[in-house]
Amino acid sequence: MGAWLAFGLIAVVLLGAAAMVVTSRDLVRGVLWLAVALLTTAVAYVVLHADFLAAAQVLLYTGGVVTLMLFAVMLTRRLSGARVLVERGQGGARGPVVAVLLFALLATTLLRAPPLVSGSVAMPADTQALGALILTDLVLPFELLGVLLLAAMVGAIVLARTDGPPRKIPRLPSRLPPERQP
Amino acid sequence: MIENPWLHGLVLGLVVVAVVMGVAAFSIWYERKFAGLLQNRPGPTEVGPWGLGQLIADAIKLLQKEQIVPAAADRPLFLLAPLLVLTAALVPLAVIPWGPGLVGADLHVGVLFALAASSLMLFPVWMAGWASNNKYALLGGMRSVAQGISYEIPLLLSATVPIVLAQSFRLGDIVAAQEGLRWFALWPPGPGTLAFGLFMATALAEANRIPFDIPEAESELVAGVTVEYTGMNFGMFYLAEYLHTFIASALGAALFLGGWDMGPLGAGLHWMVLKTLVLFAGIFWVRWSLLRLRSDQLMELCWRWLVPGSLLLVMAAALWVHLT
Repeated sequence: MGAWLAFGLIAVVLLGAAAMVVTSRDLVRGVLWLAVALLTTAVAYVVLHADFLAAAQVLLYTGGVVTLMLFAVMLTRRLSGARVLVERGQGGARGPVVAVLLFALLATTLLRAPPLVSGSVAMPADTQALGALILTDLVLPFELLGVLLLAAMVGAIVLARTDGPPRKIPRLPSRLPPERQP
Repeated sequence: MIENPWLHGLVLGLVVVAVVMGVAAFSIWYERKFAGLLQNRPGPTEVGPWGLGQLIADAIKLLQKEQIVPAAADRPLFLLAPLLVLTAALVPLAVIPWGPGLVGADLHVGVLFALAASSLMLFPVWMAGWASNNKYALLGGMRSVAQGISYEIPLLLSATVPIVLAQSFRLGDIVAAQEGLRWFALWPPGPGTLAFGLFMATALAEANRIPFDIPEAESELVAGVTVEYTGMNFGMFYLAEYLHTFIASALGAALFLGGWDMGPLGAGLHWMVLKTLVLFAGIFWVRWSLLRLRSDQLMELCWRWLVPGSLLLVMAAALWVHLT
């Protein structure tokens, strides 16, 4: 009963926040709603006894990804003036089609997976076992992820760098020139 | 303690929040006196003995002031931001162990929880900067996000060192692993000590304090994100900053200085409080001794020195655990 109540509450907040993300006209509001949605996902993990996953979710998604999005918003407009509005009706049917396909993919994967343990079983949330698993059986996907992130970083540097000699950051003299010393 | 875990958590939580809020508020008086001492001036003297009543006078003043919302501000976000800042600052208190059994929730991912929760403080700060619709506030918010996201990496990595040494995320286990004065700040000598220094330095950066306070550099940004806030809305930002610093000190004491345990001198709440207050005073000392770093120096220090350095420390700690 308690678990269902928690699930219902989380589902309502999560879906509501997610709907606000896509319907919000103001880009900044949209990003902040996304933060709410991601935090609610972390709460869902806690209810499923995946505490480590919840902490990682908050650190990486809410703390990292959303912050980067805020950064992107800041870099796309001048530092004052009107709100950043989301342009509507540019993608045609592409958005809904991708969303439906993604949902179908996730749903079929989840339906094929072994059923979740029902009830309030206190699963031994063993972070040590998780770490050992990542470095033994799952080491290949782990390393592949590392390569992927490295490639993304190299790509970002290539995009950001300009040709020509690197721009020097002017350095202030460590002390005042002699004639200006009091 | 109390048998019912819900009641235990609730009572302990309320007591801890009340006491810590009081201490954080009181520390504003202490910092001003301390600064006066360092700078050869008296500090607050007028209200009450040694100016002790200054704090109460300030609080009454802040509570009386009008709450001004700028016409061009994003009203809901503007009003929500100070509440969220204070909330995010208070959340990590839940997992800090004040004594044996004296902890709100001894989560098995306690350290991660505390750091993840305190990283959430960045959002409301940025929100305040954005919603104020003021250039200084926005620049302050932007700087604080840039600084926060950069310094979070060495902060997490330096907190990983005690996790590796104690082989647990649970703050209670980490304190227990340091029993008998085997503090991680002292033993093993290399990684532990350096990680302690790094943790405190990056915690300063996370709390936006000198030498890492460019988000609110008063000489260039007036007051950063708080520039448009008045009355108690401003007071909440101020209080959250002190709370954040206090909680960082408490985490430092639990992670590196053995928490509530003091070896042959016994164990208890008082040692944890003492260690926290010593670290807290150390942070004030730093504030009134050092200069502010420039923006580019700040980023260079973080990405070129602290991030690789903290990675090396984690590796050294892992090697130590492997060899012993």
